[in-house]
Amino acid sequence: MSEKIKATPNEPEKVDSRKTEISRFSLIFNKLGIYVVVILLTFLGMIVSKGQFFTAGNIQSILEAVALIGMVSAGLLFVVYAGNMNDMSIPMTMALGGMMTVQCINFGFPVALLVGIATGALIGLINGFMIGKLRANPIIWTWGFNLLLSGIVRVTWGGKQLYADTVARDTDFAQKSAATFYSIARTYLGSFISLMAIVMIVMFLVSWFIHAKTKFGQKLKIIGTSYDVARFSGINCTKMLIITYTICSVCASIGGIFFAALRKTASYENGTGYDFSCLTAVLLGGVLLNGGKGSVVGAFGGVLAYGILNNILSWVGLDTYSKYLVQGIVFLFIVWLNTYSNRKLGKA
Amino acid sequence: MTDTAHSGYALDMRAVSKRFPGTLAVNQVDFRVKDGEVHALMGENGAGKSTLMKVLAGLYDDYTGEIYIDGVKRELHTPEMAKAAGIGMVYQELSLARRISIYENLLVGRLPKKNALFIDKKKAVAEAKELLARVGLGDLDPTIDVSEISQCDAQLVEIAKVLGSKPKILVMDEPTSALSSEEVQRLFAIVRSLKKQGLAIVYISHHLAEIFEIADTVTVMRDGRRVDTAPVSEVTTESLVEKMVGEPIQSFYADHSTKISGEEVLRVEDYTRWGFFHHVNFSLHRGEVLAICGLAGAGRTEIARALVSVDKVDQGKLFVGGKETHFRDFGEAIRGGLGYLSEDRKVVGLALPQTVEDNVLSCVIDKYGSGILFSAKKEDALVQEKIDEMHVYPADPQRQVNSFSGGNQQKILMAKWLAADVDILILDEPTRGVDVGAKQTIHDAVRRFAEQGKSVILLSSDLPEVVGLCDRAVILREGHIIGEIPKEGITENSLLIAANGEGGYVTCRKK
Repeated sequence: MSEKIKATPNEPEKVDSRKTEISRFSLIFNKLGIYVVVILLTFLGMIVSKGQFFTAGNIQSILEAVALIGMVSAGLLFVVYAGNMNDMSIPMTMALGGMMTVQCINFGFPVALLVGIATGALIGLINGFMIGKLRANPIIWTWGFNLLLSGIVRVTWGGKQLYADTVARDTDFAQKSAATFYSIARTYLGSFISLMAIVMIVMFLVSWFIHAKTKFGQKLKIIGTSYDVARFSGINCTKMLIITYTICSVCASIGGIFFAALRKTASYENGTGYDFSCLTAVLLGGVLLNGGKGSVVGAFGGVLAYGILNNILSWVGLDTYSKYLVQGIVFLFIVWLNTYSNRKLGKA
Repeated sequence: MTDTAHSGYALDMRAVSKRFPGTLAVNQVDFRVKDGEVHALMGENGAGKSTLMKVLAGLYDDYTGEIYIDGVKRELHTPEMAKAAGIGMVYQELSLARRISIYENLLVGRLPKKNALFIDKKKAVAEAKELLARVGLGDLDPTIDVSEISQCDAQLVEIAKVLGSKPKILVMDEPTSALSSEEVQRLFAIVRSLKKQGLAIVYISHHLAEIFEIADTVTVMRDGRRVDTAPVSEVTTESLVEKMVGEPIQSFYADHSTKISGEEVLRVEDYTRWGFFHHVNFSLHRGEVLAICGLAGAGRTEIARALVSVDKVDQGKLFVGGKETHFRDFGEAIRGGLGYLSEDRKVVGLALPQTVEDNVLSCVIDKYGSGILFSAKKEDALVQEKIDEMHVYPADPQRQVNSFSGGNQQKILMAKWLAADVDILILDEPTRGVDVGAKQTIHDAVRRFAEQGKSVILLSSDLPEVVGLCDRAVILREGHIIGEIPKEGITENSLLIAANGEGGYVTCRKK
């Protein structure tokens, strides 16, 4: 009974190197693989367009389509990265951003622009408060809030579409503002680089900076991986999520303002479908649906790939409904791929 | 004991071993239980009793040794095989689906059917009633949801569920951990009646008093081996504790001779969170390692969470460095010099899919870089220093945490809190489930930390750890601090007996 107990000798620890290799591979793929896809899609585009892919007109239409998705995605990626999957209130944030800008066009274009963006910021603050402070389910809350906003918009404007030139009073100043508003979506530098594309790229640069270089980005990484770990590391998760949603909604409202300028109308249906198309782009770019992994460089590639894919579908001659079908399939495929690499990373 | 086969034992385990990578969790254990006997299985955490019972439950298919049930040799490689062999397990954590009715829980997987589509509810309810009657719940309505009944009743329903599969051997793992003392008496009455029905019962518990009340025979395990088996009538509290603790592993714990200056760095007064801990008073001095000891559920973790403002307290005052302090959130507590290494590494401790660097710095992101910028240069040296100090292997800050072994992950968690640069560190089970080497590394780190003039509050169920590291221990029982043991008085025996409420053996200084 009184046998001596020896401490087990400290054996060298076995390290499962397979796991790192897999995760390293999926990291590199997540980061750069999307650009391979972009190049392949470009070749495919050249084939199906019979050489007209690189004409100024086509590049313009790709950039315009990409620019809107890109502006919204530059903000949405933070919500996904923080582990909240998607912001379902994006459609109404875009619509409301455009409508508030048009409604205030009489105060001059700069003021109208600021009001539109402030509307987005307010929506983001409310989302962030509900999700960060009161821990509402991010999908259900933003979805419900989207419905509420759409109700508010329809009651306020009675389902009307707003045109900047009719809303504007018959003064030189107001009409000039309206003209400026329309022109922001139609300004080109050189022959085919649109102002919208430049705004989008600037927004992505800012996102990249926030994500990769700031304390906020570093904290968001921990929150996205595990909310509880972040809480038990002394990170103020509430504050972080409020900032996250505010960034997302501000980006969505900027996208909405350009959308309204491009279509020359601001209405409640302006942002329809952008919640899922932007999520597809972000996920295509390798941001994990469950959060904590992904890069802005990748997300930008995802946006490009999604834009080019849509362009190719037009060249193939698909009608709008068939396009929905293809987009749906792409979305489901991306979600599957995302879940798969999540499992590989040992998270799901 | 004789070694002849089929010698009338309900359960006869012979030379059973189970190896985990790096440790032999169960080492050549012989374990026999007679029909109609309550056999207590005792031992400290990590002694191997849970692993032994998991072998019996069929959770491992790679154990060695032979298991005879009613004299017939059985292979227990899956839970189904164990169930078929007549083994019923009542687990510590309830395995009932709480939002579903009692009868559905009781008859899960074998609800009587009327035909291919419909369940025969009448028959099911009648069958459930019968099972409930066996555990003294004959008047409970089986159609209500499990979530509507008390913890004690749920525990009894759990037993009834296990009885439904007609076991010959019933294993109960800490069945009383969530029950009040009257409820424990109810449970014991049931156990006695089951015993009369001829069941062999294996009863695992940390509460010594319960063993003397309910068990016929007791087997003590230590470090994976069976130390002794004896009738309960022939043992005393002292002899049991001695056997559980065994030869003191004092040599393993180098003597810790820190000078404690009298300066008080933390004091709580009348700290209360109703239902968890009540009127708690204690103080912590510079360079001191203070243990808060108590059984599981005594409120240790809850006190720690309240100290760092993860939970709110209902009343009481907290003094840090002599000043009354109130932290609004955990972040503020860290800035105020209080750190908390949580007990659950995987859920709240480490962001597993991220790199070591990200994890080690997660508490101090605000300190690195200027303004809103996070600079990755300056802290590289710090991360490397901390993981070298903790002997993390491989010492690569860019490696993902989930590719490390459990022991190394725990070392990384410790490195994270060393990097947090706090003056008072609360360690909640810092070495649970890690190998001896990692344990040693973590203990060394705790000692170095205290020698730097910082202070530690240690919450641990590992008694040798408390004996080896701590300068003072406060004893917590059911949310109340019942006394304090100075350094000279801390032995594994005194801690076990104090926490179990066997007064008189040590002189607890009442506060």
